[in-house]
Amino acid sequence: MNVKNIRNFSIIAHIDHGKSTLADRMLELTGAVTAREAKEQLLDSMELERERGITIKASAVTMQHTYEGQDYMLNLIDTPGHVDFHYEVSRALAACEGALLVVDATQGVEAQTVANAYLAVGTGAEIMGVINKVDLPAAQPDVVAEEIEHVLGIRGNECFHISAKSGIGVEELLDAVVELLPGPEDRSDEEPAALIFDSHYDEYRGVICYVRMFAGSLKVRQKIRFMGTGRTFTITELGKFRPQMTAVDELCTGEVGYLIANIKQLADVTIGDTVTDDLHPAKKPLPGYEPPMQMVFSDFYPGTNTDYPQLRAAFDKLVMNDSSFTFIPQSSPALGFGFRCGFLGLLHMEIVQERLEREHNIDVVQTAPTVSYEVLTKDGAVKRIDSPSVLPDPSHIEELREPFVKLEIITGTDSIGGIMKLTESRRCQLIKTDYLSTTRVMMEYKAPLAEIVYDFYDLLKGISRGYATMDYEFMGFEKSNLVRIDILINKVAVDALSIIVHRSNAEARGRKLIIKLRRAIPRHQFEIPLQVAIGGKIIARETIKAFRKDVTSKLYGGDVTRKMKVLKKQKEGKKRMKSVGSVQIPQKAFMSILDTSD
Amino acid sequence: MGGVSLYLHIPFCVSKCGYCAFYSERVCGGDVGAVVGAMIDEVRGYRSGLEISTIYIGGGSPSCIGVEQLCRLVDAVYEHFEVCGRVEFTVEANPGQVGGAWLERMKGCGVNRLSFGAQSFDEGELKLLGRAHGVEDVYAAFELARGAGYDNLSIDLMFALPGGTVEVFAESLDAAVGLGVEHVSAYSLSYEEGSDFMRELLAGRIERVCEEVDRAMYERAIEVLAGAGYEHYEISNFAKAGFECRHNMAYWANDDYIGIGPSAASWFGGKRYTNVADIGEYVAGIDSLGRAVAESSEPTVIEVACETAVLNLRRRAGIDVHEFVKRTGYEVFGLFGGEISCNAQAGLLEVCDDRVRLTDEGIMVADRVLADFSVV
Repeated sequence: MNVKNIRNFSIIAHIDHGKSTLADRMLELTGAVTAREAKEQLLDSMELERERGITIKASAVTMQHTYEGQDYMLNLIDTPGHVDFHYEVSRALAACEGALLVVDATQGVEAQTVANAYLAVGTGAEIMGVINKVDLPAAQPDVVAEEIEHVLGIRGNECFHISAKSGIGVEELLDAVVELLPGPEDRSDEEPAALIFDSHYDEYRGVICYVRMFAGSLKVRQKIRFMGTGRTFTITELGKFRPQMTAVDELCTGEVGYLIANIKQLADVTIGDTVTDDLHPAKKPLPGYEPPMQMVFSDFYPGTNTDYPQLRAAFDKLVMNDSSFTFIPQSSPALGFGFRCGFLGLLHMEIVQERLEREHNIDVVQTAPTVSYEVLTKDGAVKRIDSPSVLPDPSHIEELREPFVKLEIITGTDSIGGIMKLTESRRCQLIKTDYLSTTRVMMEYKAPLAEIVYDFYDLLKGISRGYATMDYEFMGFEKSNLVRIDILINKVAVDALSIIVHRSNAEARGRKLIIKLRRAIPRHQFEIPLQVAIGGKIIARETIKAFRKDVTSKLYGGDVTRKMKVLKKQKEGKKRMKSVGSVQIPQKAFMSILDTSD
Repeated sequence: MGGVSLYLHIPFCVSKCGYCAFYSERVCGGDVGAVVGAMIDEVRGYRSGLEISTIYIGGGSPSCIGVEQLCRLVDAVYEHFEVCGRVEFTVEANPGQVGGAWLERMKGCGVNRLSFGAQSFDEGELKLLGRAHGVEDVYAAFELARGAGYDNLSIDLMFALPGGTVEVFAESLDAAVGLGVEHVSAYSLSYEEGSDFMRELLAGRIERVCEEVDRAMYERAIEVLAGAGYEHYEISNFAKAGFECRHNMAYWANDDYIGIGPSAASWFGGKRYTNVADIGEYVAGIDSLGRAVAESSEPTVIEVACETAVLNLRRRAGIDVHEFVKRTGYEVFGLFGGEISCNAQAGLLEVCDDRVRLTDEGIMVADRVLADFSVV
């Protein structure tokens, strides 16, 4: 097909604004699937994705559309809908010439939509405004159009009004895609260059790479090279998603499809990498490649019904499907053998955790998530620190740096006060405030990732009665006045409870933490001091009183069975504890670090 | 010692005390006759001539149903079973409910031990507990019992009552000792599921005494009673030499016993079973099927060994390693080696003279120690 007749585009939308429904409707209208085949939300293939109503991995489908007597190839590239997958979103957008920005006519512009739209603008994509759900009684398409114009600079009167559910306006939208979005640049004569914008692991065929051809073409049996990693492979299959995988002999400039080359593990493929011919490579790789960066770390230890090899096997399998997740063996005096795991963000962590439980039936004990820090040592070296326990001695530290993000919050004006209070308590610096309309506002902050990574979103939702949305983007590491808080239980420092915090609230956090621990750790026969230390200096103390009496007064014939049950339960409770010195610590105590509430 | 212990549960009271969770109904003529009749039938359901070594009539309030009914029941027991000559025969008695005639009749029935539910010698506490008697009733009942020739009397005392103090409890202890009673049971108040006290506690209308005070009271009981010549032979029980309650000792030895009456429990023929806690269902069950069992189980040998260890450890004498292996077939150190050494290290258990027993500190936290023996 002529390059001019190809259109590559993606859909940007907030969760529930109708991205997947629109994709399904387009597939139906172009005859890629019949209505009967179209399961709800065809593009979201993982069970978990469907349940959470979000798209975790991007997908791509190829459709045929006839416009003014000519056949066009439309490639719809789906993008992950969550902030943790920023990089994946940016690569998916980089594979397109245009994007449909879908906004719910009853909800308005959300923070995530804005963030993804900016990403699209950054890749040079043409953006079309689409207002969805216009047939709902609560729809306010004109207000929403105004918001779109105000925030994104897309003319409100140029927005398309559709209802993906009922199909209103979707046919016209397909025509507009052909008419308004640019086709790919014709670079057919050059050496092949394909962008890997996603990949997934198939148990039978190995890694399947999702590629967008920018120049030249690729053929089956061609020897290829990944320019970023330098690895070479031979193509065994090329194809397109229609939406079923359909093999083709060749992928040409401008096209989107998949590539299989006997690649054994996902780690061999990096999203954003460029595929080229091994013997006649492209002069330079496509721009924008970055290795995935784990921002959130947490230790996973085998739980009650799981052992270490079982957990390892499950991680090995997970990482085949998800190369952005990392794990390395770790041992803690308090919790035994486990793994230090790295995630793109908190949602990513939750997904991995849920998949462990759901797909592998694995039971884990998890420590509080922490962010990654940077240390400049006295001898001038810069080190990444993923766990508070490996922080060098303060005397070797020249500078401690923490990750900062650009945080965007969109909310109703009535909750500004509450949000200001929250952000202030989390060391966020307001950069600008932008009124989208008389009732909605967008606030932009510079925020320490550590402060927003755990419960910030929940608190934000609470303050705004569910209306506020947020998104963030990594900015970089910056020097910060950080200290490590150590927790001593019965005079013994427990590494799994150490946290790195800003000095300004170190004492308050430490105090809260030991109060939580006091409640979480059962009383022992002896008094247990709980201490908070910063650099060897004790700054706070709590005491778990010794238990003084625990004895059933009456035990006669009638009570034996019942009493035995109670005692067994008491013994079971003892089993689920971890011993640190002579103190038995229940697993929930390790999670109390997470809880910053009062 | 040969023979089985027999427990007869009289599920009637004049009024329900706030702390009590034992099964009982308000006493009412017609019901009493039917229940006693059914209990007699239940007795007759067992093998005739079975040797009985101890009898204990408890409740409820056995003294509230009238002496004729009690005698009827006791007669049936003697008629059907082989009651051993030196039987220990206890009846629980409410201090306000016993008169000279009652005491005489009971003695005639073979009763040789009375357990008075005195609970306290403080009027305020008795009122709080919802007891139907006053302090004077306790003295009067005691004098009458002595006059009737009873030489084995026990008193129940309660401590750790809401608002209670060590001083007030110490006065009750002194009063009991002053009476020259042979046996004292001292119970820390426990808030039982379904009792009025539990509801009051949950509603915040009464407050538990703190653990320190509870412990101080318990320690005071041990100190005062030991000083007065009572041996502390089980967690809550104290006796002058030779006056340990044989019936209860059978429970802690994990010997067989038969419980008769609504809600009564039995451990007999390798089975544990409990009757329904409802007089109507009980009577109907006995009438139609000859039994009224609500729950039963057959513990495995290992479960029996655990139960035996837990029960034995309640005795100050603890587990006798020879008695244990004879009863359960297990060597106690083989089965509980880890549990024993770990608790011994913590100073809660001691091993001496072929016995494993709680230390003075161990008694205070016995449940934590016993929990380790509840399952292997």
